[in-house]
Amino acid sequence: MTDAPMLEVKDLRVHFPITQGVVFRKTIGTVRAVDGVTLDIRRGETVGLVGESGSGKTTIGRAIVRLYAPTAGTVVFEGTDLATLKGADTKKITARLQMVFQDPYSSLDPRMSVGKCIDEPLRVHRTGTKAERRARVEELLGTVGLPARMATRYPHELSGGQRQRVGLARALALRPSLVVADEAVSALDVSIQAQIINLLQRLQREFDLTYLFIAHDLAVVRHISDRIAVLYMGQVVESAPTDMLHDDPLHPYTIALLSAIPRPDPEIEARRKHIVLSGDPPSPALPPPGCRFHTRCWLRQKLGNPERCETEAPALASVAPEHAVACHFTDEVRSSAERDAVRLGAPPAQA
Amino acid sequence: MTGEPLLSVRDLVVRFDTPQGEVHAVNGVSLDVGAGETVGLVGESGSGKSVTSLAVMGLLPAPAGRIASGRILFDGTDLIGVPERDLRKLRGKDVSMVFQDPMSSLNPVITIGEQVTEILRAHEQIGKADARTRAADLLRQVGIPNANEQLGRFPHQFSGGMRQRVMIAMALALHPRLLIADEPTTALDVTIQAQVLELLVGLTRDLGTALLLISHDLGIMARVTRRIAVMYAGFVMETAATPELFANPRHPYTVGLLNSVPAIDDRGKALRPIEGAPPDLEEAPVGCPFAPRCAWRVEECWTTMPPLRTVTATPDGSGIEHAAACHNPVRAEEVRGAAPQRPGFVPAPPPATGATVSLGSASSEGTP
Repeated sequence: MTDAPMLEVKDLRVHFPITQGVVFRKTIGTVRAVDGVTLDIRRGETVGLVGESGSGKTTIGRAIVRLYAPTAGTVVFEGTDLATLKGADTKKITARLQMVFQDPYSSLDPRMSVGKCIDEPLRVHRTGTKAERRARVEELLGTVGLPARMATRYPHELSGGQRQRVGLARALALRPSLVVADEAVSALDVSIQAQIINLLQRLQREFDLTYLFIAHDLAVVRHISDRIAVLYMGQVVESAPTDMLHDDPLHPYTIALLSAIPRPDPEIEARRKHIVLSGDPPSPALPPPGCRFHTRCWLRQKLGNPERCETEAPALASVAPEHAVACHFTDEVRSSAERDAVRLGAPPAQA
Repeated sequence: MTGEPLLSVRDLVVRFDTPQGEVHAVNGVSLDVGAGETVGLVGESGSGKSVTSLAVMGLLPAPAGRIASGRILFDGTDLIGVPERDLRKLRGKDVSMVFQDPMSSLNPVITIGEQVTEILRAHEQIGKADARTRAADLLRQVGIPNANEQLGRFPHQFSGGMRQRVMIAMALALHPRLLIADEPTTALDVTIQAQVLELLVGLTRDLGTALLLISHDLGIMARVTRRIAVMYAGFVMETAATPELFANPRHPYTVGLLNSVPAIDDRGKALRPIEGAPPDLEEAPVGCPFAPRCAWRVEECWTTMPPLRTVTATPDGSGIEHAAACHNPVRAEEVRGAAPQRPGFVPAPPPATGATVSLGSASSEGTP
């Protein structure tokens, strides 16, 4: 693919002030939720964004769909810088840029029937007559695998999986090209989660959708994504095509994440060695200097705590086409037994 | 298993009375946990796994929840009907529990130190100063740094992982013989989850405490447990040694569950979700609750719930039997495809009579 990416996020920063006082409000600090993230998404692909709580993954998604205003950096969608948009143009663009949320219980208005809920974006964007819109709602329900009679039901009457289908139908109403799915399957039971994942993949094929798939579960992200970016404390620490990230991880944090995920296979679990990271992630209001991961890094401990990690923030540097890593010691990562142990957990390379 | 199990749940039936009617939460569960053994109870929301554990602890929310029938034998004594005063002595000392959300299980207005010493002083005759020393030791044991200092802090000053460590310290303070951990790591980030899981397993092993681990996460089950029981709609559907259950699942629900999980090592594998949704527990179960979603169902499934029957007595020499509650178990060659491979086999249609159409609400979940 040689054409320009559909979405270009450049050096995105979203900082939130920490305020104190009721009458005399003053800012006493800043939470750097997203701190310099660069990310491209090409037409038709699925980019996965993984990270733990506080890594900034949700904030990135929300900044892209303009639910938060970026502190700095640009988001260019289909050639348009979203920050420059005004009035009616905003509407036109945002119709092509939709979001699906994690919690289907709180993202639907409990007083709106399912039909009304899916109709709302159509109404706001003044598409079609009443009859046309009704037909479209019915069509959308069918698209996400719900019977047309669901239109008269209310969210509380639906199961979690059904609600997530309604959320999807609503997001698809305006025929978007990019869908930001923020933990869209995380709240669901596994058997239902698999239904929604399959549905997302079918919809992508049917409507040429591009996905930014945000989740904490690396197994789910790997299943659905073409490329993955791993976030830690508001920054991308590694990004690579999905298989490369799994077979050739180069950031100590990515390796720790891969190691931490329990595999549903007792044989693999029995022979795998786990890297258990010490400590909690530091507060995003007070990120550690240098590499933000240095306070928990297993490799740094092994290397005798080199000073460089504390003083110098590693830049996200390209190590192979499409594979970028932010670590001072990638060679040491490459030759570490820990990395091999994580990779050995995987079945032998395909013949 | 040799000799009497430490915990033996027999035909447990739990009902909840709600304004909408009776909820059939647990419908005849039998379950054993041997001394020092690690057993997993796996199932999705509403499968009855948590309710079963609350019943064991005597903590069903009164007056709505009640044990309708069955027996809960702990070390040979039936806990049902034991007065609350005696149960209190047992809880914490012999059986203790760790819950999913440590924030709501800790008292937010009392310091960690007071909460940990409270347990020690409630069960043992020790002075305040001694209890405090012991509490600090306990915190150190679960890997909390600066333990003495931390005793004076409040729960909200701890991170989620640290709070769960405190819960584990409290649960194991009196060296109980059985620890029930209900989704202990579900609310935690994956790297923290690994820490807490390691701690939980390490400590129970060192103390010889049996662990009943409740989780929806098959990965955690594979990592930690020796034996697993799979629950669905208040029934145990299948039970086996952990490696056996993953290698040779026989119940269609277990097979469906295993095929629903995206495996990080096997990206090409298509997910084969279980179509439909779990049944409405307000309806009294008729037949097998999984029948409406099952591709292997035969006519009997609509009318009779099969008992847990031995499939293989001791498949891997572990001495743990493999049992499934199924009229038409899955064959080995059918597991990967998640569908029956028998010429001419069609899942039995629901019985025509209106009376038994109360089964489940599998109406519209499945992708057409």
